[in-house]
Amino acid sequence: MKDRRLRFAPMVALILMILGAVVMTYPYAYMVGSSFKTRREFAEDKSGLIPPRYQIEERLKAASGEESALDWPGAEWSFFHNYVDAVRFGKVDRFLANSFIYAVTLTGVQLFFNILAAYAFARMEFAGKGVLFGFVLSTMMIPSAVQLIPNFLVIRELGLVDTLWGVLLPGFAGAFGIFLLRQAFLNIPNELEHAARIDGCGSWGILWNVVLPLSKPTLITLGLFTFMGAWNMFEWPLVVLSNQDYYPLTVGLSFFRMETGADWPRIFAASVMGAAPLILLFLIAHRYFVGGISLSGMKN
Amino acid sequence: MGRSFYRRLTPYLYLAPAMTVIFGFSVVSMGISFYSSFHDYDAFAGASRFVGVDNYLRALFEPDSHFWLAMRNTLFYVVMSVAGVLLTALPLALLCQRIRKGQALFRTLYFLPSITPGVVVALVFFHLFGVWGQVLDNAATALPALAFLGVWSGAGYNMVIFLAGLTDIPRHLYDAAKVDGVDAWGQFRHVTLPMLRNTLVFVTVMTVIGAFQVFTSVYIITGGGPERSTEVITYTIFINAFAVAGQMGYASAMAWLLFAVIFVFVFIQMRIFRSRNVYEG
Repeated sequence: MKDRRLRFAPMVALILMILGAVVMTYPYAYMVGSSFKTRREFAEDKSGLIPPRYQIEERLKAASGEESALDWPGAEWSFFHNYVDAVRFGKVDRFLANSFIYAVTLTGVQLFFNILAAYAFARMEFAGKGVLFGFVLSTMMIPSAVQLIPNFLVIRELGLVDTLWGVLLPGFAGAFGIFLLRQAFLNIPNELEHAARIDGCGSWGILWNVVLPLSKPTLITLGLFTFMGAWNMFEWPLVVLSNQDYYPLTVGLSFFRMETGADWPRIFAASVMGAAPLILLFLIAHRYFVGGISLSGMKN
Repeated sequence: MGRSFYRRLTPYLYLAPAMTVIFGFSVVSMGISFYSSFHDYDAFAGASRFVGVDNYLRALFEPDSHFWLAMRNTLFYVVMSVAGVLLTALPLALLCQRIRKGQALFRTLYFLPSITPGVVVALVFFHLFGVWGQVLDNAATALPALAFLGVWSGAGYNMVIFLAGLTDIPRHLYDAAKVDGVDAWGQFRHVTLPMLRNTLVFVTVMTVIGAFQVFTSVYIITGGGPERSTEVITYTIFINAFAVAGQMGYASAMAWLLFAVIFVFVFIQMRIFRSRNVYEG
């Protein structure tokens, strides 16, 4: 009896995990499926799982009278009409470009500044090192929701409200990144540094030729997480920006419901475009993400 | 002389960019915010008048203050979502561990919400909640619905953390338990749970900190309603700071109170977990 129960345990686990996976992926299926539908098809299907009927004439009829992409040169692309509409009438291309600029700049600059600081903390001796590093660590204790108003007040003092720089500046360095990189840099054997010094390398040369190449996994993981955080940031740009042209996709999307009069298929099309880049990145660099989670788990 | 001066200066040159940013957006910013919490501070006009602890008293004691209401809603949200995350992530990790093939696929699927922008998740669920019924129109069910969304988003991420913790448990402990005739529940109770203690502490503390700061789903889905039943503290602070003119000092005071509350909660949790010191190492 007991043996049979043990034999079936993996099967039961598998079935439960599949049920869980359905719960996790259903909202995505709903979002992607609905993004290809006309408003009528969408209204007729509560489950979100009935495939759209793909008939161009039907779509042309459904869309006639309202502003739509179907007067677009490529009407045969009508399958993607919500995507085309989201770009044409919703500025989603602009928001995506902004998100990309923010994410790339923040990742690049933050990684660079963090590397420099972590290198000093890990491999140099200087007065005040312990105090300064303790200070960096202590800033990790401040919850981001608590930092929202203070950071805004600084940005306002600097006259950077409603500018690109205002969105970017607070993210140009991060305590957690410095902490993580310092750990990686500490693990590099001293012998390699000595050898490089004998070959005539200064501290700058050692950083680029010895330390960084040996810390690649940490760099990639941290870079991915920084990129992800920057792509997903919402509250901060919402507070700093009022000019639509600077909105990242998250902020642009948050106003989409009102602007489109709750045209859900179009909202979902824009949502798919906002979520897809990170999901693609995740599928490509899957193991670095998972590695990053165990890194953050080790923190305690 | 000159050379050695430069050599001694080098570390500080490496530190300067990052330290300037971190200093500016922690010490300086928190300083300004602390200063403003004692002033009648208008962020847009920039005018300020010293009012002492009035902003704090107003948040804590004035009848028109939403501080306690928002704090109560936040606490309910924290309890529901933390319980939900722990009760899903750990069982999921245990199940996932038992699966022989396709573990990576499940990990990927369950992890999707963690890499999806919160705004996107909130929009999809805003619509789904509407399709499923009237949960968002009812003051009794709106906050649990938001907590459900929080659990849905956090379960996979924490499952992966628990999985990492589970694989670190030495197999011989289970073998020893089996030899002693300990059943599956006993193994879980006396081997798995104690060995997962650090992971449990980490997940609980991080989820509590995150849940205290819930904002995006409230902002997108409910706007604090119905009947203020989902007005959480970050939302109250946000509205007072950025949607109402001249309340920046008041909002700053509430943000400092929130900081204090989170700090106390994390401190208490750490103490509780530390005192129950079983099977160290």
